[in-house]
Amino acid sequence: MYSKTNLSRFAAGALAAASLLASTAAFAGEVTVWCWDPNFNVAIMKEAAARYSAKHPETTFNIVDFAKADVEQKLQTALSSGTTDALPDIVLIEDYGAQKYLQSFPGAFAELSSKVDFSGFAPYKVQLMTMDGAVYGMPFDSGVTGLYYRKDYLEQAGFKPEDMQDLTWDRFIEIGKQVEAKTGKKMLGLDVNDAGFVRILMQSAGGWYFDKDGNLSIENNAALKAALETEQKILQANIHKPAAGWTEWVATFTSGDVATVTTGVWITGTVKAQADQSGKWGVAPIPKLNVEGASHASNLGGSSWYVTASSAEKDEAIDFLNEVYAKDVDFYQKILTERGAVGSLMAARNGPAYSEADAFFGGEKVWQNFSDWLAKVPAVNYGVFTNEVDTAVTAHLPSLGQGAPIDDVLKAVDSQAQGQIQ
Amino acid sequence: MNVSRLATTVLQYVFLGTAAFLSIFPFIWMVISSTNKSIDIISGRTGIGDAFGINVANFFSQVDVPLVFWNSVKVSVLATLLTIVVSSLAGYGFEMFRSKARDRIYALVLLTLMVPFAALMIPLFMMMARSGLINTHIAIMLPTIASAFIIFYFRQSTKAFQTELRDAAKVDGLKEWQIFLYIYVPVMRSTYAAAFVIVFMTNWNNYLWPLIVLQSNETKTITLVVSSLASAYYPDYGVVMIGTILATLPTLLVFFVMQRQFVQGMLGSVK
Repeated sequence: MYSKTNLSRFAAGALAAASLLASTAAFAGEVTVWCWDPNFNVAIMKEAAARYSAKHPETTFNIVDFAKADVEQKLQTALSSGTTDALPDIVLIEDYGAQKYLQSFPGAFAELSSKVDFSGFAPYKVQLMTMDGAVYGMPFDSGVTGLYYRKDYLEQAGFKPEDMQDLTWDRFIEIGKQVEAKTGKKMLGLDVNDAGFVRILMQSAGGWYFDKDGNLSIENNAALKAALETEQKILQANIHKPAAGWTEWVATFTSGDVATVTTGVWITGTVKAQADQSGKWGVAPIPKLNVEGASHASNLGGSSWYVTASSAEKDEAIDFLNEVYAKDVDFYQKILTERGAVGSLMAARNGPAYSEADAFFGGEKVWQNFSDWLAKVPAVNYGVFTNEVDTAVTAHLPSLGQGAPIDDVLKAVDSQAQGQIQ
Repeated sequence: MNVSRLATTVLQYVFLGTAAFLSIFPFIWMVISSTNKSIDIISGRTGIGDAFGINVANFFSQVDVPLVFWNSVKVSVLATLLTIVVSSLAGYGFEMFRSKARDRIYALVLLTLMVPFAALMIPLFMMMARSGLINTHIAIMLPTIASAFIIFYFRQSTKAFQTELRDAAKVDGLKEWQIFLYIYVPVMRSTYAAAFVIVFMTNWNNYLWPLIVLQSNETKTITLVVSSLASAYYPDYGVVMIGTILATLPTLLVFFVMQRQFVQGMLGSVK
């Protein structure tokens, strides 16, 4: 083992010396990557690796597939114990948790600001991996949101696709009542044990559980308050089909029981999997909250790549990410077509896959639309404790349906969140 | 048989039947689901489908089954044998040799049962990293070998071992290791069998520690592979079910093969 490492170090050194003479740099190490989901992140990373290896045959990749919680557990253990040689060269981190790792383990991840041109990416995506003005990751998939709606149900209720543009949530609820009266279908599926819907609404108005400086912001958070009010109105108007858990929630629209879905773009594949519903769906920008800073763009989920600062193959790993994820427009067409992955490199929209009209959505150019909205997603500070506060919010969501005053709910969330953070 | 006794018997059987059904239901559902497509599993289909072959084919194409199985078998069997050798020797020693410090040391050993693994994880990880054992199967086995619970189990069972046997053997001139090997081990056969079942199951299902230690696709055990399949954004539950069945089979097999000795062993330890 040791002789091999020394040999590869020697080789790398020799090549580095040679590259001083030649103009192109060459690397010769194995880049280890940890990520989750064999059909999504793993498959996409393999595609990226194949593209890089084609041009740099001396670079090999070892892409290791663990469950998401497992990647987090391993990363946490290796970083907490200071055992840097147990770390991979590149690791996938969910965006909501990015600041937690960056701030808890300063110096553990390589700064990429000077090596990558971040102006080409969706701004919100760059913001979430920025700490003290420096950028630490390579933006990857986006969860830019859209309002997917059943054209057939809405038409029966008397609404055309034009009527679905530029909505407010109040208007959305009115439409929902009409839809139920005319078609007997509910307007949306809602799981009151999941705060995803609240997060979408909150971020659409530029708010989060934390302010721009990362301090907990619950009680005087206008965006969060408006988001909770909206969920309460929906619950009280009873235009939702209740769902317990993710699979049940997915079934609300795959079964054709609801007229709309408001979520991240990554749901597109699941929507389109129902071939018999082809031509019946449309996608509009999500409705707007009635507060200052409100917009029609938001995000749910998404993750990004990070290079560990202690990695022996650090420069190689950065060069790889930069060459494929920050420049290769064709790569983004391929992962969109094959895996339904929407990246956050804005230039990707100029490629053929993004320009295509989708027959499933009645010939709409949905990817161009999503790309437009992607650029407009408000940047927020996900802070260190998003998951903890999310748990506190989730715990109090069911009380909304029973008519609890929003200010009381905010107070309860605030005290629980304070308790969890300290 | 009068009416009230009959009623009691009926009630007993109803209760036992319900309990048995509740215990066995996850297994039945797992087997039924393995024959269905992912989408049917999600929608709660309880009938037998026709996707079994496809699920199996998908599982085998996504997972290097022989390698993963070999890893799991190697780790579980080796760790189990080592645990039993070390812990039965300890249990024998604690019961047979009298000394003042004996019960204090024994109490210390039992005390380690109260330390949760989460608290040991990081120090253990650092130890393994410094010894250069990260990403090896040895690192998985080492911390499990001296098992406080199995030492306790062997000591309790040894109380039923008749010391006259040991005394007689001593008179016949046997050394202590000969007594252990030729008399204790054969007499305690059912205890060993029960311990084997318990330790094998623990090792086979071991998840957190292998997860922390193993770093590459080539060293992963079956539990890690199933976990990674199940955590995809859109898991193929049919494939996951095949994985869980394959991960469950060896423990079931071991249990059924050793069931009689297991029950005897458990009875023996109560004495």
